[in-house]
Amino acid sequence: MSRYLLRRLAFAIVTLLAVVTVTFFLVRLAPGGPFDGERRLPPDVEANLRAAYDLDQPVVVQYGRYLARLARGDLGPSFRQKDFSVNELIAMGLPISVGIGLAALSLALLLGVAGGTFAGLSRDGPRDRMLVLGATLGLALPPIVVAPVLVLVFAVTLGWFPAGGYATAKHFVLPAVTLALPYAAAFMRLTRGSVAEVLQRPHVVTARAKGLGPLRLVTRHVLPSALMPVVSFLGPAAAALLAGSMVIEEVFSLPGLGRYFVQGALNRDYTLVTGAVIVYAALVLAFNLLVDLGYARLDPRIRHA
Amino acid sequence: MRLGLPLLVALVTMVAGAAELRIGNGGEPLTLDPHRYNLNLEEKILADLFEGLTAHDAEGHIVPGAAESWTTSVDGLTWTFRLRKDARWSDGEPVTAADFVFSFRRLLDPATAASLAYFLYAIEGAADVNAGRTPAEALAVRALDPHVLEIRLAAPFPFFAERLIYPTGYPVPAHVVQKLGDDWVKAGNMVTNGAFVLAEWQPQGFVRARKNPRFRDAANVRLDAVAYYPTADRSAAYNRYRSGELDIIGDFPPGEIAWLEREMPEHVHISPLLSIMYLVFNVAEPPFDDARVRRALSLAIDRQLITGRVLESGEVPSHSFVPPMVENYTSEVAPRTVDTEAARALLAEAGYGDENPLRITLRYIAGADSKKVQVAIAAMWSAIGVETALHHAELNAHFAELRQGNFQVAQAGWFGENNPEHYLELLMSTTGDVNYGRFANADVDALMAKAKQTAALEARLALLRQAEAAALEIDPVVPLYAVTIRSLVNPRITGWRTNARNTHPARYLDIQR
Repeated sequence: MSRYLLRRLAFAIVTLLAVVTVTFFLVRLAPGGPFDGERRLPPDVEANLRAAYDLDQPVVVQYGRYLARLARGDLGPSFRQKDFSVNELIAMGLPISVGIGLAALSLALLLGVAGGTFAGLSRDGPRDRMLVLGATLGLALPPIVVAPVLVLVFAVTLGWFPAGGYATAKHFVLPAVTLALPYAAAFMRLTRGSVAEVLQRPHVVTARAKGLGPLRLVTRHVLPSALMPVVSFLGPAAAALLAGSMVIEEVFSLPGLGRYFVQGALNRDYTLVTGAVIVYAALVLAFNLLVDLGYARLDPRIRHA
Repeated sequence: MRLGLPLLVALVTMVAGAAELRIGNGGEPLTLDPHRYNLNLEEKILADLFEGLTAHDAEGHIVPGAAESWTTSVDGLTWTFRLRKDARWSDGEPVTAADFVFSFRRLLDPATAASLAYFLYAIEGAADVNAGRTPAEALAVRALDPHVLEIRLAAPFPFFAERLIYPTGYPVPAHVVQKLGDDWVKAGNMVTNGAFVLAEWQPQGFVRARKNPRFRDAANVRLDAVAYYPTADRSAAYNRYRSGELDIIGDFPPGEIAWLEREMPEHVHISPLLSIMYLVFNVAEPPFDDARVRRALSLAIDRQLITGRVLESGEVPSHSFVPPMVENYTSEVAPRTVDTEAARALLAEAGYGDENPLRITLRYIAGADSKKVQVAIAAMWSAIGVETALHHAELNAHFAELRQGNFQVAQAGWFGENNPEHYLELLMSTTGDVNYGRFANADVDALMAKAKQTAALEARLALLRQAEAAALEIDPVVPLYAVTIRSLVNPRITGWRTNARNTHPARYLDIQR
């Protein structure tokens, strides 16, 4: 097991290094530079700026210096947010993104599993049809469409929740709901399918024949097996939620990592974009590693492959 | 005491229901160091935190700031400022002439890497210091005594008081910056001399400033705090305004104007900004190295149609390259009224016609408003047989291409000052790459150079008028209109005065409770 873990860790580090390298050079290929602002810069002034950020050095030297700093855990100064280092920015933004992600994931699980169980128990009945229709809508409508509708109804018209920004728990409600809906739908469809399938299994049929009540039947015998595919979807879902939060944070003006990433890309903030990509990549790799380790625990065949 | 006072203020404001003004500021500030700033939206925050030698009043006029008065020598070169003796930093230390000397040197020190250092190149020795050719001490800024500051200019510049308005001219507290270095600008460390002081900054979230009780005019500052939100998305900002989370936003979707003016007219403030939108021709390359082609395209454009029917929100059409609301300036430019016959004739003379139509690419800044205008212009040009391809890019990329001369004809804009020189400088061959079209004309250069050596304001303005007329006679640019600012201001806010500078210092604002 530990050899397997070591091999996977080494693979993750190589992947991360590749991501760093590609991002480092890719951001520098985008047209424009970090100092193109709304005002002009005379050559002397631009030279001062370029020197301050090592941009007067050959790209290979810049890359070497960046890697050396990265090895010490330093993501460098932000090119554009001059008063903060990239480490400081990520330390402030990441908890907000993780907060929304966790809230959305919990909500998606709750809605998805409950809805999927109900639908699976009465497969092809009217209740099932309604839930499947809802889930299809949830999957089909992208957050970029759902978010403004929610804002218009619950913020502008009803005034129940703020339209954006970040101060209280209330500010998290609309973003978390928007982000959760497609995943709730995905969880629901997974649960529905496997609940319906597990219902046909001999041990459930036997339990039902022995006269077990519906509540006990579902909680004791159906859900434990039916939830397996849901659990295995958690890893990719968590990674996708994190990436999906970029759109949500922009729409709801939340100061999370995704907003730094988008704004950093627009402003050609090379270090901030690279730093955000590294953090995203590390998180996705970590989730995948956890899921793979989970599989390995469940299925001994993977450990020796 | 140091800790006790802010805590007490926080407690009192919590109990009394603090008057906090919430402003949608259009984007995230990239720094609050006045010497490193670059963006207009940073200016708005910094103007509440600091006070330069001169300042804006509620109407955007230039008034004494940290200096209570100043005098200018007859040759226009030596400016002497008397500082207010009662001025204090927010930590209680006095604001002195030595702070200003330190600050001007810091701005121009190459190590500061100030992107707008050139704003003060008017000061004798500034350009050399900034380029690292001479030490900072060579800068002609001296403290004659703790409250008298003398600044010598390299050439006469009657608009210098206005130039000092920008954060590049703000003082920073020498005693704090020397102790803390770059960390002086963080909330908790930052010491300022303006009406407010930085309390908290959550990047991409908000900047919060609270009233500075040691500000020299604190008795007349009514707000307890101001929060600036980085509302980069116009629609999101509008929603947050509508749901009551913001008190002021500086922009809203143009499609909402009709509804807003019908349903909540007391919120809507639409006014022209001191600015000029124009088309610029790349005169370094064919076909626009030919003045006849430029004149033809200029003659085809109907400004009234653009402002009155396409944009429809109060933009002011202009034939002058100087915005119409600039004070003390009457342009002598001959208007280019629409004349498609003459335009076709000029094109024919230049060798273009139905068999050999002129094909060009018009570059513009991505965005709904600007797209509408450029589509209209392309249609006007098609009426004289010109085939126009449209190409758009986001703001930064657009101007990067223009600075590199990588265009044929393009949309551009310039805004800012209440003096003609600020705009006409763009037509000098020595201006560098913001003379996007690489326009160079010896007569225009000579007139501009002469104006820049003239201390008497009237004579200077007369030379500027001549320079403008000479330049626009050969159509390097097509002035179009002054843009408008569309603000929403909650009627509970008092003290808001519409002005062409679009400056609204928070020290003059209040919230009705």
